Amino acid sequence: MLIKKSERHTQRSSLAALAAHGKGGIDRRAFLRRSGLAAGSLAAIGTLPLTTVREADAAAAGPLTSGATIRKSICTHCSVGCTVTAEVVNGVWVGQEPSWDSPINRGSHCAKGAAVRELVSGERRLKYPLKLVNGQWTRIKWDQAIDEIGDKLMEIRRKSGADAVYWLGSAKMTNEGAYLFRKLGAFWGTNNTDHQARICHSTTVTGVANTWGYGAMTNSYTDIRNAKTMIIMGGNPAEAHPVSLQHVLEGAELKRANVIVIDPRLTRTAAHATEYVRLRPGTDIPVLYGIMWHIIKNGWEDKEFIRQRVYGYEDARKEMEKWNPEEVERVSGVPGAQLERVAKMFATEKPSTLIWCMGQTQHTVGTANVRASCMLLLLTGNVGGPGTGANIFRGHDNVQGATDVGLDIVTLPFYYGLTEGAWKHWARVWEVDYDYLLGRFDDKKIMETSGIPLTRWFDAVLLPKDQVAQKDNVKAMFVQGHASNSITRIPESLKGLKALELLVVADPHPTTWASLAVKAGRKDNMYLLPVATQFECKGSRVASNRALQWGEQIVKPIFESKDDLEVMYLIAKKLGFADQMFKNIKVENNLPVAEDILREMNRGSWSTGYCGQSPERLKSHMAHQADFDMLTQRATKGPNKGDYYGLPWPCWGSPEVRHPGTPLLYNTNLAVMDGGGTFRARFGVEREEKRPDGSVVKVSLLADGSYSKDSEIKDGYPEFTLGVLKKLGWDKDLTEAEMAVINKINPANPDAVSWSLDLSGGIQRVALKHGCVPYGNGKARMNAWNLPDPIPVHREPIYTPRVELVSKYPTLPDAKQFRLPNIGFTVQKTAIEKGIAKQFPLILSSGRLVEYEGGGEETRSNKWLAELQQQMFIEINPADAAERGIKDGAWVWVTGAENNARAKVTALVTERVGKGVAWMPFHFGGWFGGEDLRANYPQGTDPIVLGESANTITTYGYDPATGMQEPKVTLCQITAA
Amino acid sequence: MTKFIACLRLIAGVLVFVLMTGLAGPTNAQQPNSVNPNASAVKEQQLLDKLNVVKGLGTIPDTKSYVLEHPAGRDWRVFHQVTLKWIGGIAILGMLALLVVFYLWRGTIRIEAGRSGRTIVRFNGFERFVHWLTATTFVVLGITGLNVTFGRSLLLPLMSPEAFSAWSEWAKYAHNYLSFAFTIGVVLMFLMWIGQNFPTKADITWFKMGGGMGKSGGHPPAYKFNGGQKLLYWLIVLGGAAMIISGYMLMFPFYGGLTVDNMQLAEIFHGIVGMLFIALIIAHIYVGTLGMEGAFEAMSQGTVDLNWAKEHHPLWVEEEMAPKGAARTQPAE
Amino acid sequence: MARMKFLCDADRCIECNACVTACKNEHEVPWGMNRRRVVTLNDGKPGERSISMACMHCTDAPCAAVCPVNCFYTTADAVVLHNKDLCIGCGYCFYACPFGAPQYPKVGNFGSRGKMDKCTFCAGGPEEDGSKEEYEKYGANRLAEGKLPLCAEMCSTKSLLAGDGDVIAQIYKERVAKRGYGSGAWGWQTAYRETIAT
Repeated sequence: MLIKKSERHTQRSSLAALAAHGKGGIDRRAFLRRSGLAAGSLAAIGTLPLTTVREADAAAAGPLTSGATIRKSICTHCSVGCTVTAEVVNGVWVGQEPSWDSPINRGSHCAKGAAVRELVSGERRLKYPLKLVNGQWTRIKWDQAIDEIGDKLMEIRRKSGADAVYWLGSAKMTNEGAYLFRKLGAFWGTNNTDHQARICHSTTVTGVANTWGYGAMTNSYTDIRNAKTMIIMGGNPAEAHPVSLQHVLEGAELKRANVIVIDPRLTRTAAHATEYVRLRPGTDIPVLYGIMWHIIKNGWEDKEFIRQRVYGYEDARKEMEKWNPEEVERVSGVPGAQLERVAKMFATEKPSTLIWCMGQTQHTVGTANVRASCMLLLLTGNVGGPGTGANIFRGHDNVQGATDVGLDIVTLPFYYGLTEGAWKHWARVWEVDYDYLLGRFDDKKIMETSGIPLTRWFDAVLLPKDQVAQKDNVKAMFVQGHASNSITRIPESLKGLKALELLVVADPHPTTWASLAVKAGRKDNMYLLPVATQFECKGSRVASNRALQWGEQIVKPIFESKDDLEVMYLIAKKLGFADQMFKNIKVENNLPVAEDILREMNRGSWSTGYCGQSPERLKSHMAHQADFDMLTQRATKGPNKGDYYGLPWPCWGSPEVRHPGTPLLYNTNLAVMDGGGTFRARFGVEREEKRPDGSVVKVSLLADGSYSKDSEIKDGYPEFTLGVLKKLGWDKDLTEAEMAVINKINPANPDAVSWSLDLSGGIQRVALKHGCVPYGNGKARMNAWNLPDPIPVHREPIYTPRVELVSKYPTLPDAKQFRLPNIGFTVQKTAIEKGIAKQFPLILSSGRLVEYEGGGEETRSNKWLAELQQQMFIEINPADAAERGIKDGAWVWVTGAENNARAKVTALVTERVGKGVAWMPFHFGGWFGGEDLRANYPQGTDPIVLGESANTITTYGYDPATGMQEPKVTLCQITAA
Repeated sequence: MTKFIACLRLIAGVLVFVLMTGLAGPTNAQQPNSVNPNASAVKEQQLLDKLNVVKGLGTIPDTKSYVLEHPAGRDWRVFHQVTLKWIGGIAILGMLALLVVFYLWRGTIRIEAGRSGRTIVRFNGFERFVHWLTATTFVVLGITGLNVTFGRSLLLPLMSPEAFSAWSEWAKYAHNYLSFAFTIGVVLMFLMWIGQNFPTKADITWFKMGGGMGKSGGHPPAYKFNGGQKLLYWLIVLGGAAMIISGYMLMFPFYGGLTVDNMQLAEIFHGIVGMLFIALIIAHIYVGTLGMEGAFEAMSQGTVDLNWAKEHHPLWVEEEMAPKGAARTQPAE
Repeated sequence: MARMKFLCDADRCIECNACVTACKNEHEVPWGMNRRRVVTLNDGKPGERSISMACMHCTDAPCAAVCPVNCFYTTADAVVLHNKDLCIGCGYCFYACPFGAPQYPKVGNFGSRGKMDKCTFCAGGPEEDGSKEEYEKYGANRLAEGKLPLCAEMCSTKSLLAGDGDVIAQIYKERVAKRGYGSGAWGWQTAYRETIAT
């Protein structure tokens, strides 16, 4: 007879009784947490009868998880930094459990995070190295691959110079991996080293850093809970950063906060807003100024804050005043009354925060967009406190880290730039001769010149040699962890794929580099190297809130795949500079030790305050996650008591200083040793300004009467150098050993040695001792005089449907930037002359789906995710669809304004997009121009789901300050297929 | 009259206004001054009140998963658990009871003239094959079908759950696979006998005489098929078609955009028609066996006694005996 | 005795599908089978709401009532489970289910729907708790380990609640009181013949 579970249950688990005995059960708090309870209402629930606590009997655990080892790592699919808890049995990852102790995700995941275990079962992964031989994928050994690649690289170097090799790294590497990749570029002798930050938040980094010092999220995901008003402008975190919505929504509920979403689409995020503002894509600046117009008109601005901590307000005000409601509505379509309400909420119901993502950054005016956002925050005094700030949601799990460690074309690690001083600093850290590094480059000038942005790699391959300002065109691409289909203008990139002399893709998946290269007609000199996912590696990653988390290796690399670090070591060894490059890094069985790399970073990263995050401290944080409070992110007990979770940078001084990290940047309400700070005095101490009468006055750039708590200097002050310490009489606090190091750094002029160059950490230590921030106490800049538009101005997209606005709001003139010409102006002018807007009347924008990430090859290979989005589509408004006879779900051709580009996708007819706007997700690949390229992948490695890439249709357009591409606004036409 | 013109003018004015705003609307799309998505959240009860179903949009290809909530499942359940059992019980038990009563009253209808010793071919081999193909599959389909409705109440208490499930699973397979044979049978039967099953005047007489079933009913006129048989034929053809169509809908669930509602309707239809069908066939079996002497051999051997034929199908015998058909009569053994 | 229920707070659900993949991950649910799914109403319009749905483990469950072989049973925690050894894959439970929960693997040809599969509230099946057989047929048995269903435990916004019906109803009430709005406990009237007064 059937034994029913209920019969056994009644015998075994008299639940309430068990709870009373407390035998091995989960406690009340754990149950409530498991039930999904908000922390805020714990007390109210306390009186409820708890009849469901049941026996957690080890013997009753499942066969798969009994005796499992628990390992913790970080989800690799966005920048929230969710802890992944893995159950490992016999080296196999058998289950995922909620990470309750993480003060960031508190057990939660999104579709991707809840499916990461699939990545290491890897049915569709690259399993061994492959080489394209006469158009056929052929299995080879690792040794052969490294040998052949190395020989070819050396041949190209001899013929075309070091800059002819482009090193394209990844935001999915650990911090150690990204740092090492930048170092590999430096030792190879090029600044052509880039990663995904270029195409996601390069404009944020530049725009925000140029405003107040550092280009990063000022606050944190969890701090959003403190906001009373939030604007989410150009971001759809419900799909891109789902776990952040836990804090956004729960915080908004508890505070009854205003949630304002400004976006061309009524996104899944907007569905939970209290106010939705629909704007025309590409008109962020007019809308932001439109809000500011109401603020200054009504006197809602924070006058004291502006006086003390803002430079250039009067200049900015002139621009704000131009944007009256009529003009704003004419340009953006947003009614004045709505913006007035938004302005009032933002300025008067404080604290207010502004959240943005790629909707603001991915534009030719991206840098100006984010600066206008910063201006709104400064205008209302909403920076530097809980619930305020620029909450910039970054993309990949370690894109903040990869940016910090300088996997970038404009700087060495930690934003030191490319000056001789910067190179000498890193030569000291790496303990190599500056002259050795200099000798690796084609010449000193190119060594100090920004590299080519990854967005333009194929232009660097294809343009006439004389237009590429380096020794020769780019001849080889070494791609380690970057998609090709997330770069705009795919039809033109195909020509580049054909023309390259060498293409190496080191990745867990073959990616669209493989399928498109074969489509382009490439037959040889291409290699696919299987690299492990980050769950098969260990190391630190930096979430968007600047917090570092140490991830353990969950399982060993599967198949023949190798750790990123090992691949870099093998290449460096083959190229002959491994001894120099790994001088201070232990290498075990060809695998560099991640902890040693982090220690080397700690030794050189004074500028960004990455010096206090030793591997030991980070590991201790991971091991004691439960000690940290979710809202403050601070440990209330345990060995890390007082630390903020993940030691968000800047974490000043050496690890021994035990700085707790800085959860909120520029927060003057706290002492520096408690995580307080000021705006960074990065742009000098004073500036000459011309007055209308022609006279010249010197205006201070230092804060006026504002300083962080307990600061001994009760006013603004410049960045610390030995000279400044001497003036203050604080140099006596330096130890002899510290002085010795300082003198060694600049024997000729030790007074010039600054807080960021002092390898002893003494200057920082002394500044902290006196309650001061090492980088000084300056004003934030509304006027960033060094940028193309010092005060942001509206500029119509290159391809705009509103051609009548172009004469008033044209894009910037053509110029040479990043070694290449940027002919945006010519393209805009030509488009108008050719009447492109008539042929292609619909605005095309692109964005994220929750199931996929980036170029999507990894997530489209994950069977649990791929099942949920099996079809590439385009969103089109019902009115536009009706005009074209397009039915929901039917196939359509999308044609683009350049290269006769076309893509075959299905139509999703929806009011989510406004009339005249179409939208595509950017994660698809493996189709081109209606053709299925599945056969181009090496056998068994094709992603489950393929589809047209949105970037087949996207067009020319680059931000002058960063080389950011323009995937958010172009023009297209849609016809029934 | 002026009033009428004024009225017309007003209507025209309104029309022009509507047209103008209608045309101007999309191009100059004035955005609303306030959109509060949270405040306008959809409510479950409103949706249920409107359509009694909550349907949205999903991302997986399985479109039936887009139905979030479909309380009608509860109604179907009542039908399945209560209504259908009553219908089936009344139809089948009622028919059995009726036949018992009829038998007790009338007994077996004998060949009045006694057996002649001469036979006449009534159904050729093919006809009999088709009949038995349809008949046997029907019996299996009927029993396995009844198992779905009544098995749990009647059979399960008598056997172990495992045994009952094993039997039911085989019953399901049998039900599904034999449906094809049944379909062929019904189709062939339809084609084979349609010529002889169009109603004639004789059928009216047949029905007026109660089919001769009364104790002194006499022998109403009939060709190869009498009025009752023709009725049976059409019921089998139409009922069979109904069973087949609704059955295939259940067998190929959700194909061609079928919804849960369609499926539930198909099941209700299949159930009710099936029960009535079974009752009908029980009657048919009675008449062909116990109810009438000399009838069964028509389908077993294919021949019937000439006297039986003359009594029940006189017009048919006349046709058969006509010169053309004379040769076909054979002497009995 | 505890009465286990699911509650999806639609005002929190963002259709992130974590519940869906968590379920797939925990139970190795094959392609094409969806024990849990998210449906979006009013898609793309103001008032859009998404709701995560799976078997609601109804009071007086219709699936159990119509099953011709009586393969369903209800545990002491009111979790509605079924025995795959007894299931004959007839599909009736799908017709009766108000929430579209039952799923059938396609095996062989037309008529042969495989054994029905559905959400178990992470409570396994009739086999020995935590046994290999139980895992292979029904997936993990978290309830026996003192854990709640993984879909709810991993929900990105704590929208999906699982646990003792009284407790989660109280949590929901608290939330609605705090934030001042709530579109209701979707499906509760149909599944449990009750609603949460807020």
